[in-house]
Amino acid sequence: MTKKIFKSIVLVAGVVLLASIVIIMGVLYQYFGEVQENQMKDELSISSVAVEEDGVTYLSKLESNRYRITWIKADGTVIYDTKNGADTMENHADREEVREALSSGEGEGTRYSSTLLENTMYCAKRLSDGTVLRISMSRASAGALAFGMIQPILIVLIVALALSGILASQISKRIARPLNDLDLEHPLENNTYDEISPLLNRINFQHKEIKSQVKELQQKKDEFNQITSSMNEGLVLLDNNGTILSINPAAQNILETDEYCIGKDFLTIDRRHDMSIAIQNALNNGKSEIRSEINGREYQFDISRIQSANKTIGAVLLAFDITERELAEKTRREFTANVSHELKTPLQGIIGSAELIEGGMVKPEDMPRFVSHIKEEAKRLVVLIEDIIRLSELDEGSAMPQSEVDLLNIANEVKNNLDETAKAKNVSIQVSGKNVVIEGVKRLIYEIIFNLCDNAIKYNKDGGKVDISVSETESNSVIKVKDNGIGIAPEEQNHIFERFYRVDKSHSKASGGTGLGLSIVKHAVQYHNGTVTIDSQIGKGTEITIAIPKNK
Amino acid sequence: MRSHFDEQLAQLNKELIEMGALCEEVIALASKALSGADGKMAKKVASLDNEIDEKERDIESLCLRLLLQQQPVAGDLKQISAALKMITDMERIGDQAEDIAEIINFLDGRTFENDELLREMARATIRMVTNSVDAYVKHDIILAKEVIKSDDVVDKYFDRIKHELIDKISKNPDDGEYAIDLIMIAKYFERIGDHAVNIAGWVIFSVNDTHTEE
Repeated sequence: MTKKIFKSIVLVAGVVLLASIVIIMGVLYQYFGEVQENQMKDELSISSVAVEEDGVTYLSKLESNRYRITWIKADGTVIYDTKNGADTMENHADREEVREALSSGEGEGTRYSSTLLENTMYCAKRLSDGTVLRISMSRASAGALAFGMIQPILIVLIVALALSGILASQISKRIARPLNDLDLEHPLENNTYDEISPLLNRINFQHKEIKSQVKELQQKKDEFNQITSSMNEGLVLLDNNGTILSINPAAQNILETDEYCIGKDFLTIDRRHDMSIAIQNALNNGKSEIRSEINGREYQFDISRIQSANKTIGAVLLAFDITERELAEKTRREFTANVSHELKTPLQGIIGSAELIEGGMVKPEDMPRFVSHIKEEAKRLVVLIEDIIRLSELDEGSAMPQSEVDLLNIANEVKNNLDETAKAKNVSIQVSGKNVVIEGVKRLIYEIIFNLCDNAIKYNKDGGKVDISVSETESNSVIKVKDNGIGIAPEEQNHIFERFYRVDKSHSKASGGTGLGLSIVKHAVQYHNGTVTIDSQIGKGTEITIAIPKNK
Repeated sequence: MRSHFDEQLAQLNKELIEMGALCEEVIALASKALSGADGKMAKKVASLDNEIDEKERDIESLCLRLLLQQQPVAGDLKQISAALKMITDMERIGDQAEDIAEIINFLDGRTFENDELLREMARATIRMVTNSVDAYVKHDIILAKEVIKSDDVVDKYFDRIKHELIDKISKNPDDGEYAIDLIMIAKYFERIGDHAVNIAGWVIFSVNDTHTEE
């Protein structure tokens, strides 16, 4: 800007100067031309009077460098010339001014000599004797004059331009300084030219707008971060080159990286081939899905393309931990397979016996044995189905009627119901402890004690014993079922609560269990927010402790 | 111009990581075939190896294009020349994995009595390759040096396997061919380990000033 102002000022100064020189010179040239002409005319009239008086004598006495006077006869012959010898000069009758003077008394003419670059002005007057007196004077032409003036003009020009240059640089700096010194952070506090105040107002307005927009953006970003950081699912945003734009803490955990990966390629944190293919697929086709295992956990990655105005601008990658779901699915599949198998076994027995009877292969005296076998198998089937129903009830987690339950009473009830079975195996049952009342589901508590006790009898030695004790600590109500039976090996202890798990792998019906008893115990205890602990040694016996917290 | 160059360098980096990932996958597959040989696995390995070869050609032409068109200097030149060297090693890894899969095919389902040793060796090798690619991705010199060191572990595995197989042949000369196949597999794994060491060396070169090979 300073430069531009400087240039303009210098240019204007130069142009004005040149124009004024030209105009002034033109006017002066004209003016002096007229003055000269008048002087010449005056001289001519003086000379003509003198020549009429004295003739050649006057002319010869006249000493003038400025004028040249020629006396010409009426026929054009030169009588006298102040500059050249008269005899050397040619006839002047055809000269314009002479012709005019001869005819009208006075004549004028101007001729230009290209060799001398001069204008020569002539004035002629007819004297009373018929001769003509001519006066002439040379004068430089405007161009020659200008040429002659070049040096002073140039000096003037240079001085003027130098002066204007210095002034212009000063002025332009001074004009521009307030603009340079503008405080754009606080546009309204500037006190400069009125012309730029609309601009400053505008800047101020935009400042405010930008500030509020930045604030809004920051707020949105914070919101986004808040939401994504508290998400359990991993979330990664990618641009269409696969560069990471954002990654939430959950995704950082899953992919074992940190926030410094933002701005890098997704490949740098997960370069697995099938993952790159999935991302590429999502970018091309809109959506893709991939399951993969990372550090022993199973994850599902859903990748979707983000589009804006029909242009792919990136992809969003969501990672879910599906380990539990997969596990649950697996358990359910296994459970279904086990249930079918367990249901089929007694039915096979029933069908087999029935076929034998049908075919008349059974002797009449064996008949009761076969019928009772069918009955036994059918009973087992019913028990199994009841167990399954109970278990699925517990799985459903549906609310069951709660009431005050006395643990000791139930333990006694169980003892009475199992006495017969115990006697058959020559096992004795003892119940000890005090009355402990809890808030719970009576049927489930009964199931817990019954199943534990039942197992303690089943897996016992001849002459063994089972102790059921009920007690309470400050925070828990405790039921202990202790036997001195065959015990459970440590590696089995983790599995005995699984459905259909049996320590004897043959699934033999010798013991008559369904394989669901302890599973029901586990779920029933969980229903009461309690815990089960096992303490068992092979050959010495097992103690199972159920602790149910008093305050749920 | 410069930004185009940067873009191309980023592309090179990306493709190298992809190629590294392919190498990891191919030897993981080959070692999986080791524990449960089936014909499909060998086919998969072969197709992956083709992919690796293709990637090598892509990266090679990208490197040459970069060298010709951009005439890189200093660090960039180092990175590109390291890339050119690394892809050769990676390509060899792919080939050797394919060779392993091929030999496993010949074994007709027979597995090494003491195949736990061979599998451990395979695991150690895979870890070396993974770490060398990781070192490249993260420009991690310490990890690269670790890879170079762990080559000794793989070499020791090879020695142990060799001794066991010598025992085997002396006890049961009929199993000679089988033992030789196994020693070839072990040798290939050992070579893959060496290539991983080379890659690690080039990582150190591209990050540092010198190419160290301890």
